[in-house]
Amino acid sequence: MDNTEVLRVKDESLEHLRKVHGDDAETLIADARYGFISGLMKDVLVKPAVEKETVTDKIDRLILNRWLGIPVFLAILYGVFEFTFVVSAPLVSWINMGLDWLAGLATGVSPAWLSSLLSEGIIGGVGAVLSFIPVIFLLYIALSILEDTGYLSRAAFVMDRLMHRIGLHGRSFVTLMLGFGCSVAAVMSSRTIDNPRDRLVTILVTPLMSCGAKLPVYALLAAAFFTAYQGLVVFSMYAIGVILAILMAWLFRKRLVPGESGHFVMELPPYRLPTVITVLAHMWERGWAFLSRAGTLIFGAVVLIWMLNYFDVLEHIGRAIAPVFSAAGFGQWESAVALVFGVLAKEAVVGTFGTLLTGTEAAGGFGHVIGTQLGWTPLVAFAFMTMILLYVPCVATLSIIKKETGSWKWMLFTIAYTLALGWVAATLIYQIGSLFL
Amino acid sequence: MSKKEITVALAGNPNSGKTTVFNNLTGARQHVGNWPGVTVEKKEGFCNFQKHRIRVVDLPGVYSLTAYSLDEIIARDFVVDEKPDVVVDIVDASNLERNLYLTVQLLEMRANLVIGLNMMDVAESRGHRIDVKALSSLLGAPAVPMVAASNRGTAELLETIYGVATGGIPVSAINLRYGHDVEAEITKLEKLISGNSLAGSYSPRWLAVKLLEDDREIIKKIGQA
Repeated sequence: MDNTEVLRVKDESLEHLRKVHGDDAETLIADARYGFISGLMKDVLVKPAVEKETVTDKIDRLILNRWLGIPVFLAILYGVFEFTFVVSAPLVSWINMGLDWLAGLATGVSPAWLSSLLSEGIIGGVGAVLSFIPVIFLLYIALSILEDTGYLSRAAFVMDRLMHRIGLHGRSFVTLMLGFGCSVAAVMSSRTIDNPRDRLVTILVTPLMSCGAKLPVYALLAAAFFTAYQGLVVFSMYAIGVILAILMAWLFRKRLVPGESGHFVMELPPYRLPTVITVLAHMWERGWAFLSRAGTLIFGAVVLIWMLNYFDVLEHIGRAIAPVFSAAGFGQWESAVALVFGVLAKEAVVGTFGTLLTGTEAAGGFGHVIGTQLGWTPLVAFAFMTMILLYVPCVATLSIIKKETGSWKWMLFTIAYTLALGWVAATLIYQIGSLFL
Repeated sequence: MSKKEITVALAGNPNSGKTTVFNNLTGARQHVGNWPGVTVEKKEGFCNFQKHRIRVVDLPGVYSLTAYSLDEIIARDFVVDEKPDVVVDIVDASNLERNLYLTVQLLEMRANLVIGLNMMDVAESRGHRIDVKALSSLLGAPAVPMVAASNRGTAELLETIYGVATGGIPVSAINLRYGHDVEAEITKLEKLISGNSLAGSYSPRWLAVKLLEDDREIIKKIGQA
């Protein structure tokens, strides 16, 4: 049987139906389904004559309000970070006390190199990353609640109009929001975006969002340099990420892949009170990736950093790169090394500092050591945080970008533009800030 | 004697409570992998019932079974290619009309369908009264009222799955009519397809409908066959 014959007859049929009905066969078939269903409904469903205004309707009147929608969204986001930091602060300091105690034990170990590997490398490096477990898990709980209650879809709905102006769709915003958790998962979620151009642009800007792994870096530096305004400073990182992602998306949509953008209905699922188990399960799904990375990738990176440092190689590497970042204020070899290892995984930045700057351990973490040993001011810390937010995504994200766009070209493009964007932003912040401070 | 295995595909719209039903059915006996060839997560779980091992495959949450998204293609390919013994469609009873769009398409595929009418409590609180018996008989597939969030209806669902899988409960799928003109074209295409090499795994009528919907994936498959 010749299959081209089947396809030819199909085209004839479609042509015929279009002539007779003025509609695509696809529409006719969908209409038949809807017709069947609405007939069925008459037989099986009795609804009250006047539909009661549901709780969902009442909440939506506030949350989806034309003027209040975006302020409410920002307020909720800010609330998430305050919650994360306030609740996690005591937990983090307990973990740090435990780590100090362990480091104390490790200094007694001989030979000296093993003691150094244990206390500076593993406890200083991996421990520094692990001490942020409460922060990460609380953030993931908050994100899971936002997602499971149905608020995330509302946020996308509220942003839909704005997103259309920049040539994208509200669904792209859902992807960006998921980027608060992990860019890898977010890039994968872009599959729900039908239009290939919209999807590509969404993938390209997703790494600009503050993912969970960047949070330990912010938390470390915010605690050390911005004691009173931790929540606000971290919130500003998230805000800068969102704003730049939207700006870059607008630019890419205009210059890189111009053309029509897709239109489709934004789903608004009813609000649900998520069960504790669902929220915990979602938290665990996200958090597990962080934990297992700390045990594998970060552990490996930290041992490598310690070894390179022990044999005096690391400083040479760092010094070769560091001058590039002097204009942004963080031209020390330690920060250059941290940025290099940050490409493996963003929390490795914390691990690097933990390994290179230990020895002056004190309760409350080692963040303040960065101020004394590297001579950073709050302005430098802020510029560095911006760099961490924007520069080259981690290798896992890069590989998923390669996979989802199907080309090396877009992956390399992402590396190039994020590096440039991060450098320019950090430098501008440092240079302009220096004029005033 | 080794246990007989019953394969159940769990379908449903996003936000229909499908994941909760999946957890209720399988408890901790789950594992997560990937659908072949793609990085979309594939969840599978197991439970035992009446000396049978029931394997539950969680399909991606979808509103429809067109070829417009990867999730939809994965869901329907599983139903067509793996021919699960039973397809359970979890339906949000408080949004019955919208959810039934997927149900109808599953019935068009001649799946052995069981309808899980979830969130009956929400529907009732809104004053919706659903005639479950009438729904079952009009669709020709058993419907089980449930409140998955408080684990109500899970046992009844399992019993119904078992009944359908072992032939105790009949499923007599409806034959949706698409109107005179479309039907005429379907008949024409159906005849041509019957002799086709693809006819083995797909029903000719379903293929004809998909062709008229200008379904990219099906056209690709026919072009390659």
